[in-house]
Amino acid sequence: MTQANRINGGLIDRSRPLEFRFNGQRLTGFTGDTLASALVANSQRVVARSFKYHRPRGIFSAGSEEPNALVQLRNGAHQEPNTRATVVELFDGLEATSQNHRGPLAFDLMAINDVISPFLTAGFYYKTFMWPKAFWEKVYEPIIRASAGLGRLSGDEDPDCYDKGFLHCDVLIIGAGPAGIAAALAAGRAGARVILADEDFLMGGRLNAETFEVERQSGTDWAAKSVAELCSLANVRLLTRTTVYGAFDHGIYGAVERMTDHLPASNRNPRQVLWRIYSKRAVLCAGATERSIAFGNNDRPGVMLAGSVRAYVNRWGVAPGKRIAVFTNNDDGWRTALDLSAKGIEIAAVIDVRNQPAPFELPDATIETGGRVVNASGRKGLNSLQLTNGQIIHADCLAVSGGWSPNVQLTCHQRGKPIWRDDIAAFGPGKDLPVGMVVAGAANGSMTLAAALREGHEAGNAAAIATGYEPTVSLVANADGEPSGVLAFWHVGESKARAWLDLQNDVTVKDLKIAQTEGLYSVEHLKRYTTLGMATDQGKTANVPALAIMAELLGKSIPETGTTIFRPPYTPVPIGAFGGRSRGKHFRPTRLAPSHGWAEEQGAIFVETGMWLRAQWFPRSGETHWRQSVDREVAQTRSSVGVCDVTTLGKIDIQGKDAAAFLNKIYANGFAKLPVGKTRYGLMLREDGIAMDDGTTARLSEHHFVMTTTTANAVEVFRHMEFCRQCLWPGLDVHLISVTEQWAQFAVAGPNSRALLRKIVDADFDISNEAFPFMACGEVKICGGIPGRLFRISFSGELAYEIAVPARYGDALIRALMEAGSEYDVVAYGTEALGVMRIEKGHAAGNELTGQTTARDLGMARMVSKKKDCIGSTLSERPELNREDGLALVGFFPVNRDDELMAGAHFVKQDNAATLENDEGWMTSVAYSPSHGHSIGLGFIKQGADRTGEVLTAVDMVRDKSVNVEIVSPHFIDPEGERLRV
Amino acid sequence: MFEQTLTATTSLAGFERQNADVSLSEITDFALVSMAIPLGGRTALQNEMTVKFGANFPECGKSTVSTDGGTRFLGMQRDQTFALFKFQGDDAVSEIAKALGETAYYTDQSDSWAMLRISGPRARNTLERICPLDLHQDVFALGAVARTMMEHLAVIILRTDKDAFLLMSPRSSASSFLHTLETTIKHVL
Repeated sequence: MTQANRINGGLIDRSRPLEFRFNGQRLTGFTGDTLASALVANSQRVVARSFKYHRPRGIFSAGSEEPNALVQLRNGAHQEPNTRATVVELFDGLEATSQNHRGPLAFDLMAINDVISPFLTAGFYYKTFMWPKAFWEKVYEPIIRASAGLGRLSGDEDPDCYDKGFLHCDVLIIGAGPAGIAAALAAGRAGARVILADEDFLMGGRLNAETFEVERQSGTDWAAKSVAELCSLANVRLLTRTTVYGAFDHGIYGAVERMTDHLPASNRNPRQVLWRIYSKRAVLCAGATERSIAFGNNDRPGVMLAGSVRAYVNRWGVAPGKRIAVFTNNDDGWRTALDLSAKGIEIAAVIDVRNQPAPFELPDATIETGGRVVNASGRKGLNSLQLTNGQIIHADCLAVSGGWSPNVQLTCHQRGKPIWRDDIAAFGPGKDLPVGMVVAGAANGSMTLAAALREGHEAGNAAAIATGYEPTVSLVANADGEPSGVLAFWHVGESKARAWLDLQNDVTVKDLKIAQTEGLYSVEHLKRYTTLGMATDQGKTANVPALAIMAELLGKSIPETGTTIFRPPYTPVPIGAFGGRSRGKHFRPTRLAPSHGWAEEQGAIFVETGMWLRAQWFPRSGETHWRQSVDREVAQTRSSVGVCDVTTLGKIDIQGKDAAAFLNKIYANGFAKLPVGKTRYGLMLREDGIAMDDGTTARLSEHHFVMTTTTANAVEVFRHMEFCRQCLWPGLDVHLISVTEQWAQFAVAGPNSRALLRKIVDADFDISNEAFPFMACGEVKICGGIPGRLFRISFSGELAYEIAVPARYGDALIRALMEAGSEYDVVAYGTEALGVMRIEKGHAAGNELTGQTTARDLGMARMVSKKKDCIGSTLSERPELNREDGLALVGFFPVNRDDELMAGAHFVKQDNAATLENDEGWMTSVAYSPSHGHSIGLGFIKQGADRTGEVLTAVDMVRDKSVNVEIVSPHFIDPEGERLRV
Repeated sequence: MFEQTLTATTSLAGFERQNADVSLSEITDFALVSMAIPLGGRTALQNEMTVKFGANFPECGKSTVSTDGGTRFLGMQRDQTFALFKFQGDDAVSEIAKALGETAYYTDQSDSWAMLRISGPRARNTLERICPLDLHQDVFALGAVARTMMEHLAVIILRTDKDAFLLMSPRSSASSFLHTLETTIKHVL
């Protein structure tokens, strides 16, 4: 085909032809075309099949409101379904296919649905698929699912990348039509920071589709010159191909900018960028959308919106037909006839429903005032129309204008309600607009060009003043006012054939009548029952006529009938754009411990703990099972010495004259009298008396402490303490700052730990048992003068230390420790061995500090000092938390030592059924203990230690396993703590 | 006796990427020390800062510079500032404390933050993809400082020039932060 419908004129570049394919057919267009305009140029009348009845459908509009011309774009993994051909910018090599048909587009097997349409009206599936009941899942649902939807996803991962960002401005102007450009000129010239966004690739809006004059030049030229001026202003940012899709709180707008959709390939650049635009003021200049009139078979290919027909002729230089008729209820429809006639296109007739003299003269055309189109013929393309008076008019295109509806969607995103206006027979913006928003031009219901230019100018100046700028003395761009009268007329009642309201969802006037007959009087119910206004176009062309007809059926006025609620997005936004770059392993950041590089060299297996990657164990050659590695690490640590990176623990620097007093209030146990150079285990409670976190705190000097928290609660504890400092006790002299990142910290545990550290810590520092006993701490120098901190604390139950150096030396220190320890056969151990050793020692950790357990449950009731007040002290005395039969932490052995214990198992008395009533507690942590040679566990059980020796059953219903267990002390090794103190 | 000195490593191994539009490089020769005002000690600290540095205690969100230009004080909180100065030794706290004595509580933060300088005519375009703050120079002027989030990571941002910013993000996630910046630069250029 050779662009048979191409005529002269238009804003296309004929020197730059483009080749593309539609359903495999090679076609050509020009730079500046949309896919739709190029298809029109190539006389492609049928471009899609309708959703339900699979009726042939043609291009209906020229913008983002398009309900019919949805195509599948590109191929392979780049395939994108449900793309509106009317907004796809043509590029060389574009490939599009039609969708929603079985067999070729011209002969869709599913068109049988159209024949049986009387059975497929609104709500048919609610009524039809009721029985037999068993058929639903196996028969009906698969059939419905196979038939539903329009295009198909590729099923492959999206190969494109997306990005997001933040923009800030004084004035956001949404839409670059005449009102938007006028607003941008006014605000931009005043010096305000302006963002002007438009969904089109060419700014100018309707000016590019009309033959209006502005300032005695063509509207198109005025738009281009104005945009050039805006481009020259440093304070104005122009965003073409950008849809502002939602108005959110505090003047924040969501916008999606299509960066590479108009190019053959993205070349690894982000395909789209999702902007969050922070504005002080917003001027909505989103224009208006034309709507149709319902009459028999008004969905035929060739029946189009009148303004769109005009746009194809004026902007793209293509004629949607050879002989075109116009059916209108308003003055604007006549403009289509005038513009087409001026281009030499034959006007078959102008049919105006209004009984009034013609507003324009058209000498060669049949004029039917007071006329109505009752039916349209031509299944695969319109060929004739029948009027109510029986007259047949031959035409291959019908330009319909049912009036224009202001695009008020964004005014309603924060529950604003639009207001009905009889003068324009449409809804205009309501009174409750999003904060900072004003509306100008057609979006505000001001339907003439002169009004749009004036309102835009005024809104731009007002926004500039409101944001602190002085408007320049410039006049409103001059344009003549054009006639814009309209009669509210929605539906040709004489039509016997089905008359479509929502083309995308195949909703007809009859469907509305059924819904009304069945008692669905609310518009929201109507929408759900008939599917009117759903899917990609969200009823942009359908909602108002449908509401009007609904009002007629109910005998109410349109305002009484009300509207459905507009919600973001204005037009579809790909999920990929919302995801942005946060995909795969970059979904969230990764935190690496200082020894990470070294651990990688050792072949460590890592585990994610929050955002941290921690070494879980260090397999050695010959070890085929993780347990072999972990058992070895435990055994070697307990027999000689092991090293573990514990940097991930939260570290908080606490300074001030009242630091001790502060800690005394934060911790349940006393800290006021902790001597300088000593460390103490501390347990902190929440205000409700439940255990919050535990750790150790060292007193480095009179007014300087350093606290450790668990890895998981580091942020939570810091936040809690800042709250206490700032809000509860602002009179205390205390300051907090996180030093988690500042210090690399390693646990050095085992009987040879001191010997190893003697090689690392400079000789000036005496770390003998006498000089540096259990729980001592101090600032030391290591490896010849490097500052460090040493704490004699133990999580493993062995003689142990934690040594800290500035993070810059973390990598060097692990290497030095391993080298210095080689004579003791030092072993690096990971989180698994750490866990095994703490379970063997009976230390509580995250599995026990669940946010539901108390100090008493943990066996630490005596730590909650009654000699002082602390956070959580009072509420820890609640009777329910102090029941006689309350839970307590104990240890468990399997009665049969070969049995493996399961964390999460619940305890019931032997021979009792595993029911909720018989539940006695649960297993929190289990490990294979190399020290005992069998599985051991910690858990909470009613009455705890009083039941030592009792045998119960641990029932694991998830893994369907039961094990008999014996209650033992939770201190599986060295219960007296002798090893710690040697 | 075991003899080994420890060699320091930087967060990002001295990363550097020069480009006419956006350059990115790790800052490795600066120290950062937190200074908190003891309760009721604002005047004492201010006086000492005036005498020793000729600088004011900064308002939150702004920074001040010592007379010799060597030390910048970043206004982090109402009663906390970070002193940023060229120093590569191990004891940054002493460097400040020897001037200001006990008028503040000091905490070394030099190793807590990876420091990156992003500069060039498109630095702001790059940052607008990840930084929620308005970095227009009328709003975020020379010397302005803020704590913010970029791609889930805590960041302190300081404007050091019309087209240059110092970014500080926690050391443990520095490689994620660098990946974020490199991805962004790739997306923008």
